[in-house]
Amino acid sequence: MSPSAPLLSVERLSKRFGAFQALDGLTLELAPGEVLGLVGPNGSGKTTAINVISGVYSADAGSILLDGRSIGGLPIHRRAHLGINRTFQVPKPFRGLTVGENLEVAAVYSRADRAEIGKCLEFLELAPLVGREAASLNSAQQKRLDLARALIARPRLLLVDELGAGLNPVELQRMAQTLTTIARSGVALLVVEHLLGFLRELTTRVVVMDAGREIFEGSLEVAARDRQVIDVFLGG
Amino acid sequence: MIAYTLLAGLLFGLYFSLVALGLNLVFGVMRLINLAHGDFLMLGAFLAYGLYSSAGVNPVYAIPAEIVAFVLAGVALYYAVVPRLLSSRDPEMLSFILLFGLSQIIEALAVIAFGNDQRAIPATVFGIHPVSLFGQTFPAAWAVSAVVSAAAILAVYFYLYRSRLGHATRAVMASRDEAASTGINVHRVSAIALGAGLALAAIAGAFSPFMLGSIGPDMGIRITTVSFAVIVIGSLGNPLGTVLGGLVYGLGLMLMETYFPSWANLLPYVLLILILLIRPSGLLGKRVRLA
Repeated sequence: MSPSAPLLSVERLSKRFGAFQALDGLTLELAPGEVLGLVGPNGSGKTTAINVISGVYSADAGSILLDGRSIGGLPIHRRAHLGINRTFQVPKPFRGLTVGENLEVAAVYSRADRAEIGKCLEFLELAPLVGREAASLNSAQQKRLDLARALIARPRLLLVDELGAGLNPVELQRMAQTLTTIARSGVALLVVEHLLGFLRELTTRVVVMDAGREIFEGSLEVAARDRQVIDVFLGG
Repeated sequence: MIAYTLLAGLLFGLYFSLVALGLNLVFGVMRLINLAHGDFLMLGAFLAYGLYSSAGVNPVYAIPAEIVAFVLAGVALYYAVVPRLLSSRDPEMLSFILLFGLSQIIEALAVIAFGNDQRAIPATVFGIHPVSLFGQTFPAAWAVSAVVSAAAILAVYFYLYRSRLGHATRAVMASRDEAASTGINVHRVSAIALGAGLALAAIAGAFSPFMLGSIGPDMGIRITTVSFAVIVIGSLGNPLGTVLGGLVYGLGLMLMETYFPSWANLLPYVLLILILLIRPSGLLGKRVRLA
């Protein structure tokens, strides 16, 4: 269970795409400043969970509470204004805009202080790239820009979708430190990740999903010895 | 002769940029081809014609009324149709069917309202003296149309690149979900873009009696085809690329009208096929791929 009153409570969340049941009664809780890993094989519903919580998709059933308030019916931008921000598995920064303009748009529309832009650029080592068009950034830089765009909105809950994918070991280490610093500032992180070594740097608590359901909740170490989790990952 | 043809091509090029600009703006923001684009231009033409024939209003002075009426129509159309369309399983196919149907309905209603006759506004509304440009003389209506078109293109530039709303619009063009998760109300931004797109078409419509010869309820589909050719030549999804497409089309049209007049009507189709064969992403295609 979460150590304090939950910031996010997801109860019996379901989502179906045609004949495919992407989420099937997912339940989880997350406290402020806590980091929860969401792991599972491809197609287990991790990204769908993030998409439903952030509002990209609407849920077929179940509830999403932020600070005890139901947000399931709100559009994405309203959830962003309430403090739910996210990164994307494949970052799509606003490519025709510069790095600075990307953050300026994010600051203006998330009603954040524009003075934070400089600090955010420094924090994510994007300051030297401020005038560069976002389209010209490499993959790792685009991921940092995606994170910066989410951070500038002063999130209370940050949904992180496979931020580690494609990063080299040095970049992974720096990204893990960055996310840890963010969590220590009181931001709750829900981290979808395939790289368990990277996830271990961030948290010990994970929810393991399979076929849209939670099959395990607890520490990564215990999950690694859990028969059902092993079967799911090894296809047994 | 060639100097006259090229200068006339530039004037018509600016006008065709305006004709197609709204279609590209709407495509850039919503990724939908508005098959009723030409019909909204036709409605703008009839609004200007109605104001002229009933109250003697110069088409230039009809522009504010066109903007108000068509921005409101665009916003209403957006909220009535587009959010449901975009959340459907196949928004592209559904939008083709729906917007083609809308085009047919607008044309049918226009026939009922205005009849099938072709209408015109006398070019003397802009004075009887031709305008001299680099030693060549042109009808004043052509020059006024080109100036209004250039002003509208500049306005779109300032809207997209120099305003807060424009930054949000470009963010939506780049990624709708990321823009929304950044806190941008994508529906509001898109509704305004559709309103602006229809208003641009309507302004072009106000000058169509002078640039296209006459107006009638059946002109919509032809205008949509020409507009589509212009934005494919420039680059789909890049509104300012439309200007390049418009200039290429205008120059091509004038050259054809001068040297191969009986083939001129084939120009949009020939250019469309050529550009799709040679450079499918348009002349500014690289920027589109990045957009």
